[in-house]
Amino acid sequence: MILVNGEELSYFDGMTISDILKKKNFIFPLLVVKVDGEVIAREKYSTTLVSENAKVQIIHLISGG
Amino acid sequence: MSYDYTKRTNYISDLPTMKAAHKILHETTFKPTLPQKGYNNRSLHIDLSNFKVTEKQISQQIKDTFIGGRGFGLWYLWNAINPETKWDDPENDIVISPGPLGGITQYPGSGKSLVVTLSPLTGIPIDSNVGGYFGPLLKFSGFDALEVQGKATTDIVIFIDGQTGTIRIEEAPLESVDSHITAEQFTHEYASGPGDLQNVSVVASGRGAENALIGCLNFSWYDLRRKGTRLKQAGRGGIGTVFRDKKLKAIVVRGPKVKGDENNPVDFDRIVKVGVKLHKEIHDLDDKQCRMRRQGTAHLVEIMDAYDLLPVNNFQFGKHPDVTGISSGVWDKRFTQGIPDGCWLGCSLACTKGADGHVVMTGPYKGHIVTVDGPEYETAAGVGANCGIFKPEWLLECNFYCDTYGIDTISFGTTCAFLMECYQREILNKDRTEGLELTWGNAHAQMELLHQISRGEGFGKIAGFGVHRLKQIFAERGWGDSKFLNDIGMEVKGLEYSQYISKESLAQQGGYALANKGPQHDEAWLIFMDMVNKQIPTFEDKAEALHYFPLFRTWFGLNGFCKLPWNDIEPADNAKTDEPSKVPEHVQNYCELYGAVTGKNITKEELISMSEGVYNFQRVFNLRMGKGLRRHDFPPYRSLGPVTREEYESRQERYDTQLKEVIGVDPQGKSVDEKIALHRKHREDQYEKLTDAVYKRRGWTKNGVPKIQTLRNLKIEFPDVIEVAQKYQD
Amino acid sequence: MKFLRPDSSKCEGKFVCERTCSKTFFKVEDSACSSIQVRQELKGFSLNVCNQCGECVSVCPVKALYRNKFGTVMVNKEACVSCFMCVGFCPTLSMRRGPNHKSPFKCVACGACVKTCPKGALALEEVDHSRLPA
Repeated sequence: MILVNGEELSYFDGMTISDILKKKNFIFPLLVVKVDGEVIAREKYSTTLVSENAKVQIIHLISGG
Repeated sequence: MSYDYTKRTNYISDLPTMKAAHKILHETTFKPTLPQKGYNNRSLHIDLSNFKVTEKQISQQIKDTFIGGRGFGLWYLWNAINPETKWDDPENDIVISPGPLGGITQYPGSGKSLVVTLSPLTGIPIDSNVGGYFGPLLKFSGFDALEVQGKATTDIVIFIDGQTGTIRIEEAPLESVDSHITAEQFTHEYASGPGDLQNVSVVASGRGAENALIGCLNFSWYDLRRKGTRLKQAGRGGIGTVFRDKKLKAIVVRGPKVKGDENNPVDFDRIVKVGVKLHKEIHDLDDKQCRMRRQGTAHLVEIMDAYDLLPVNNFQFGKHPDVTGISSGVWDKRFTQGIPDGCWLGCSLACTKGADGHVVMTGPYKGHIVTVDGPEYETAAGVGANCGIFKPEWLLECNFYCDTYGIDTISFGTTCAFLMECYQREILNKDRTEGLELTWGNAHAQMELLHQISRGEGFGKIAGFGVHRLKQIFAERGWGDSKFLNDIGMEVKGLEYSQYISKESLAQQGGYALANKGPQHDEAWLIFMDMVNKQIPTFEDKAEALHYFPLFRTWFGLNGFCKLPWNDIEPADNAKTDEPSKVPEHVQNYCELYGAVTGKNITKEELISMSEGVYNFQRVFNLRMGKGLRRHDFPPYRSLGPVTREEYESRQERYDTQLKEVIGVDPQGKSVDEKIALHRKHREDQYEKLTDAVYKRRGWTKNGVPKIQTLRNLKIEFPDVIEVAQKYQD
Repeated sequence: MKFLRPDSSKCEGKFVCERTCSKTFFKVEDSACSSIQVRQELKGFSLNVCNQCGECVSVCPVKALYRNKFGTVMVNKEACVSCFMCVGFCPTLSMRRGPNHKSPFKCVACGACVKTCPKGALALEEVDHSRLPA
């Protein structure tokens, strides 16, 4: 189990940031991703593994026309 | 398929005849000036009842308190009208002002005009932020604001010539009143030749605004590549309706040729430095971020769908399987790419996309080839998804006619969606609509409704009055249950909602219903922060956001800026800043620009306090006009939660889970109606608590009235303002 | 189309090209007013100058940038509105603005620096520009 924005998400081995985004259907392009407080660069979403029990914050910046 | 972007129906073959039919009703001269440090310190007042033209000086106190733009608009309107004034009284004032920083060409999104008038929809002041060249060219002719009061008896045009220092009021009987033609004709009539076309901007509305209360204004500029005029809309609140009620066919300004330093800023280099930095950022990152340069705000359609926020079928649902029909991929292909699309010079974010070569399918312009300005997200969501329509060519058709008829696409979309739901629920039927089959997805019926609105005929006669009055009319006629109509009629204070689902974001429910002018998202868009990021969990957190963001965004309207370059592009390292949601580097850019133009350096905190005075003044203005109390800030239930069984059942898992985990009731064995009632009680209670917290944060009473001390702290100490607020102190 | 092709490997950092350029066009010897820029790198020098690709032409809102009959991208100062979008959008960062300038400037492939470069690091070359943008 990991926490994404405070909500539980089931964990699997080898889970990356990209997997989380896909699972949550977070398609918005302006994101700030932090794993246990550390900012992850966009280029590293697909290669950054998260560990079980990680606290992930995926901050969507404000949008709206 | 590609479209020739220079090819469109010609409306200027008969200009000499049109011009010859003009009759000069009044002519006067003025001394053209350029602003110094962003201000001319002078505004122009025109009374159409007696053709009196007056120059007004703008004092330091007024500049310090109201800054410009929306602030000037509100102040002039306050002085022009009285508590009994109705929108169609001659004293109602239309004020157009660009703000002291307006007209900068080095920083994206710096050419906005703010328009303020007493709204026919709400009976309180409306403010609308619009692109096009008018505001900057007005200012570079010598005026920081234009006020138009009074009413003419025949269709007239006001021509302000900043090149020769002439102001003329002319009868103009032959030009079209519909904006896509009006702008084209007047631009060519008043430009001295081809090289002068870009120095002319036209404000116009359309025939729809004569018959509907949801009329908008169009502000034009000349597109050198397309060789034609383009339009941007001051959409909200029925300003076009007031414009046509005054018999204005157009207001035309011809300014000097723009060089880019007309504001005479204190430090030009400092402006260029932040401007080039943002241009570069947009160049490097826009393709990876929002793709505004290719798709404009229409890129949001599928994003909102993905987050269950796209209004579908009158805000019942937040997504639809057919969304790909109107999503960004379609617009990326349909918009002409590769030519500059800024609505003011120097905007590299360039979101003003154009769909060229649209062959009109219905109505009076059937067969004409036109360029459609848009669709923007709000239009795609409003007249498209919210009405169950997912066909791009019909969206273009509706967008085109709304604009040229002078009809606000947002209010039209929300109104049409409301009517379609009434039709679905048999509150309306073919008999009552005089033959219109207003079923979801029926684009033909939507267009027919729009044409009827524009003529003030058939069912369109009442449809153009907007949701608030329609609810009353239906109730009077015994059509439907008035409580249900209030639940699904998406309006607050008389203004229709803009196009986002707010059911799962309490903060956004407040962002909409607490907004001064009515439920438009330009005060605060907090859905991601609240619903997705869970960044503002407590009432106090939400109240803080509902304090900061409306004030921050008000600042754009005071100074002549667009909101988009603030946060629809972000610096590469924004994620690493302390408050990414505020985009700190861009906030600092605005502080730099203000200092560079006016010579007065401000901090980001001072930026907020500049807005706070104006914001509270506007709240008192609402009170003066009979709104602005707590009961006027209460939303229709559709914006808080599920009204109907279908809505509940469509997201049953979510709602049942919330019942269990948030409300603490076991949904097991409860009927849908019981569960809806439980949700409603909880959600309305939450909204009341939010309201308490926001009022407290803003320094207002429990009834939503700015405390006298709050006003004094903000230096809003005008005796007549204090007097109004005093009456409502508990 | 003529364009200036720099060969950084030959550059020894004498900055003669910068001085020539700024003197030719702005009558000053000031690096900030030179279309060609020499920069010291960890090893040797790099040269940055416009390759006449023409990306900027389509960015300009007032058509102040255009190709002349020789294919060179030119700045029409009269038409320019000082937005400097071209500076931010130049893919090679070769569109420039001098201190206090109201319009941008760029290399027009005049060849003055070619003649003065002591190391022969600069050359004017001709390419077919018919398939280049704008």
